[in-house]
Amino acid sequence: MIYRIRHITEYKYHSSVSLCFNQSHLIPRDTGYQKCNSSEIKINPKPNYLAQRSDYYGNSYFYFSLHKQHKRLVIDVTSEITTEDKASCLDLDLDLGTTCRQAREMMAEGQTPEMLEAREFILDSPMIQAVPSLREYAEGLFQDQRPLLSAVRELTSKIFTEFKYDPSSTTVATPLGEVLENRHGVCQDFAHLAIGCIRALGFPARYVSGYLETLPAPGEVKLIGADASHAWFAVYSPGEGWFEFDPTNDNMPGDQHITTAWGRDYSDVTPLRGVIFDGGNNQELSVSVDVQRIG
Amino acid sequence: MQNQSQIQTASGDTSWGFSVPSGHYDEAYDLSQPRAHWQYLLESIEELGNDGLQDRYKKAARILRDDGATYALANDPLGSTNWELDPIPMLISSDEWSQIEAGLIERAELLDFVLKDIYGPRELIRQGIIPPEIIFNHPGFLRQCQDIRLPAEHQLTMHAADMVRGPDGKIVIIGDRTQAPSGAGYALENRTVLSRVMPSLFRDSQVHRLSLFFQSLRSTLNSLAADKGVTPQIVILTPGAYSETYFEHIYLSNYLGFPLVQGSDLTVRDGCVWLKSLTGLSKVDVILRRVDDIYCDPVELKSDSYLGIPGLTEAVRAGNVVVSNPLGAGILETPALLKYLPAISQHFFGRELALPSVDTWCCGDPKDMAYIKANLDRLIIKPSMRQIEEPSIYGHQLGEANKTEVLAKIEKNPYAYVAQSYVAPSYLPAWQHTKIQSRPSIFRSFTVANESTYVVMSGGLTRVGLSPEDTVVTNQAGSQSKDTWILASEPEKQLSLIENSAVISELSQQPNLPSRVVENLFWMGRYAERAESTIRLIRTVFMQLNGIDPLPDSSKKLLLQGLSKQTKCLPGFMQDDVLKAPDDELMSLILDGKRAGSVKSCLLALLVCSEEVKEMLSADTHRIINDLRDNLHDLDRVFVGGIPSAPEEALDPLVTTLLALSGLSHESMLHGVGWRFQEIGRRTERALQTALLIDSLLTTQGSDSEQHQVLESALLSVEALITFRRRYRNTKDIMSGLDLLMIDETNPRSIFYQLKRLEEHFGQLPQTTVVARPGLTPEKRLLIKSLNDIQLADLETLTVIDGMSEDRKNLKVLLKELIDQLETFSTLLSDQYFDHQSGPQQLTGIQRGVYL
Repeated sequence: MIYRIRHITEYKYHSSVSLCFNQSHLIPRDTGYQKCNSSEIKINPKPNYLAQRSDYYGNSYFYFSLHKQHKRLVIDVTSEITTEDKASCLDLDLDLGTTCRQAREMMAEGQTPEMLEAREFILDSPMIQAVPSLREYAEGLFQDQRPLLSAVRELTSKIFTEFKYDPSSTTVATPLGEVLENRHGVCQDFAHLAIGCIRALGFPARYVSGYLETLPAPGEVKLIGADASHAWFAVYSPGEGWFEFDPTNDNMPGDQHITTAWGRDYSDVTPLRGVIFDGGNNQELSVSVDVQRIG
Repeated sequence: MQNQSQIQTASGDTSWGFSVPSGHYDEAYDLSQPRAHWQYLLESIEELGNDGLQDRYKKAARILRDDGATYALANDPLGSTNWELDPIPMLISSDEWSQIEAGLIERAELLDFVLKDIYGPRELIRQGIIPPEIIFNHPGFLRQCQDIRLPAEHQLTMHAADMVRGPDGKIVIIGDRTQAPSGAGYALENRTVLSRVMPSLFRDSQVHRLSLFFQSLRSTLNSLAADKGVTPQIVILTPGAYSETYFEHIYLSNYLGFPLVQGSDLTVRDGCVWLKSLTGLSKVDVILRRVDDIYCDPVELKSDSYLGIPGLTEAVRAGNVVVSNPLGAGILETPALLKYLPAISQHFFGRELALPSVDTWCCGDPKDMAYIKANLDRLIIKPSMRQIEEPSIYGHQLGEANKTEVLAKIEKNPYAYVAQSYVAPSYLPAWQHTKIQSRPSIFRSFTVANESTYVVMSGGLTRVGLSPEDTVVTNQAGSQSKDTWILASEPEKQLSLIENSAVISELSQQPNLPSRVVENLFWMGRYAERAESTIRLIRTVFMQLNGIDPLPDSSKKLLLQGLSKQTKCLPGFMQDDVLKAPDDELMSLILDGKRAGSVKSCLLALLVCSEEVKEMLSADTHRIINDLRDNLHDLDRVFVGGIPSAPEEALDPLVTTLLALSGLSHESMLHGVGWRFQEIGRRTERALQTALLIDSLLTTQGSDSEQHQVLESALLSVEALITFRRRYRNTKDIMSGLDLLMIDETNPRSIFYQLKRLEEHFGQLPQTTVVARPGLTPEKRLLIKSLNDIQLADLETLTVIDGMSEDRKNLKVLLKELIDQLETFSTLLSDQYFDHQSGPQQLTGIQRGVYL
């Protein structure tokens, strides 16, 4: 499938900003099953410095700085992506494969570069601390003899069923323990939650940010800009590789999920992070995302 | 069992007994025989005797103090710790040194390979040579630095290693410093001082010089600049005056001739780093970093850091600036690496390292952890990351309950700790004020990349413990330092006594002073002047209050209220009860450092400014600044039981010291841009103070005798009374006083005199890059206007008492005008030349998902 994704971010400041630096993870990366054919970055006012780079995890990002007075900043990114049908992946029989015990042993003893590198994703990360309550929440699903991926799939459903989606209930600073206790949050929280559970049990998991194509209800016209960025997670099964799960939608991402970037957690792949000078105390942010199927 | 070594002094007055506990190596003696390379030194200090050594020790302490050598300056301008230097150096023989030197070069080479690998292919992890967690779980591993490469063969520019000599006489490395290794400057200062207090001993001992190391550092930094065409601009980045090793930053800045800058002195534009100087932005090519990497860039690294330069990481990535040691280099300091260095060395070199590291176990490794549990008694537990600010734990000092507690703490966060075996340090003869005693020692040496190899400093920094039982020797614990002499087997050519005699550069001559430095010089001038005029006025008040003729109440009131107005410490003497019992208020105006306007607060502010510009001040100025600190301490002492008799005399030393400061700045500071700003600060402040003095004392109506007394006080406080009496023998009127205080061009305290000087200095300032508008600048116009106001002033009109307000209204109006103009001048100057950018803030507003 071919998609065109337009992601517009607009900042309005209370007073003029004199200098700003920004790092943006807004360009979809290439993965085994998707390719970013082209991307166009439009920034207004025109930045004094702009560079497109690849980060530690192999994600694309761009960096820009601006040193002229401005009260409004618009970052408009349009990308064209080809995704492959992941049907083969989705048909995967999760009841076969590496068991939890095998996975644990292989992670401890395994000496392949892939396994050694995956150990990075068992460790705590800036936004995910594997507290005991996370372990307790998921423990029962991960019996020794059960295939790891089957357990993760059930965890995905468990989160989907037991948690309420509620954008007003959490902020980016809400600790995982609180999300777990209150049982509501948004897609980032659910991804973080699943990752925290999986890591607490000793398996590698990473955070994936991206987009999901939404289809209008039958008979309705799709609204432009109504889409949003999305987040899910991937788990590493030793000997089998990385597999993605979406706890917000209770499924395994297929070709309607478009990956932007992955990392240990949200903080590694924040869509925009930056520093401004002056600008007063208030910033207003608005985001519009449009995912369009073009072929 | 103690190994006693004794020698008799030449004079025979005392015996120097010092014993080395069993199980420790004795550096100086083999049984009771001096080791060959120590023989000459031991004989020489025996000849010197205890008195001689104490004398050298004191001399060294004095020089260090004058040089401003401090460590761990607390967040208090009065609270610096002086650097301690033992007059007895540590000695290493030439033969042994060549082995250590080769070992250190090999180690630096290896760590350089590790650094390139960690921020490159990570084969050490992929091939299972090191456990992934020791890197991935370490906060010093900066993923932002992946694939950043300096344009040089070696990525690790500087390295320092701490080592001790174990009981078997073998050197063991107990730690590496790669973040921003400190101590090289202190080592050089130690050498400079010791070679001065022990000149003949130093000369005859054939000691290797240190300067090659610093020359190599300078040439390496020069070679790192991306643009080879022009002379590169190299700066030293410091966290600021309150950094514990700030003295060293200043010292290196002066020695190497690179400006010392703080994060806020630099800015990133167009992907390049620029120094905000008086004349605008000038491009920076290389940054010698003394700020921990994580604090260097709030955009990509620690987002709440105010020590860094927003955008620095990207400028480095783009190759537009070089930071050295590179960002991310701190990861090499993790003690967990020590365990794997033999295997890493096998991997890269195919052999083991010549200099071994201390045995280390990783708490994150289950097998190691089992060993640690079984052998905790013999181990030291250390954090594996600096972010955990916990002291080392010595297993043998723990009771059973504590052991369980420690093990539980480790198991909670196993990768955060390592265990190391305890290497019993060797003992050294150390000067302990009255006698030589044995002390445990630790030695740090330094390497710097140079072309295709590393250069090792021929010497280093030895520190000794405070007590014979000290197991840890650090600066934080207040240990003594020693110069370290590597003895050449034959004399080196051209031994110079003072290593750095030729190289001290004059920073004030550099065109690219950070504007922060200049601003501090400006304020230093202002505070010095403000302190002086406040002290003078208080002194005068004391003299008048305690004079032979008792002061009538009305004059007393005028004088005390004048003091409150002048210092802006209101309401103060405007309150009747305070006026009746003035002692407490007077004390507070002198001693209360927290009260803006008090003598102490002005002096503290002056000291703070002087810390910020320490690198600009001459050795003599440092001495005076030190005197000022002492004066302040004395002041507290003198006034401890209330106002002493003849209190004015207690203030005299301060006035003298401040005058010395002003004289020195005039006579021994180069009259460059920095000096001009200091002078502008002084002149502006003095003009303001004189105007305030006239306004607070001479504008009110009073009887002739009151008028006279107050006029006399005003003149006395500005040292103009004698002139006045001589010149206006017969008149004692206000008009003549005003003439002298305001208009007289020959009186160096008159307002007119200050304005003339201001006009002069202002004309010499460099033009800023701001496009000049046609016509005069607003600052210039203010100066001309003020000069005219004074020159056109009609003294008759000014002294007239206004019928309505019952004071000298015309005079008041003129003074207010002058004060306003001077203050506006100061503000405009600040806006024009100094940087007042507000601090950075994070972009907030987070993009969060919507239900899909």
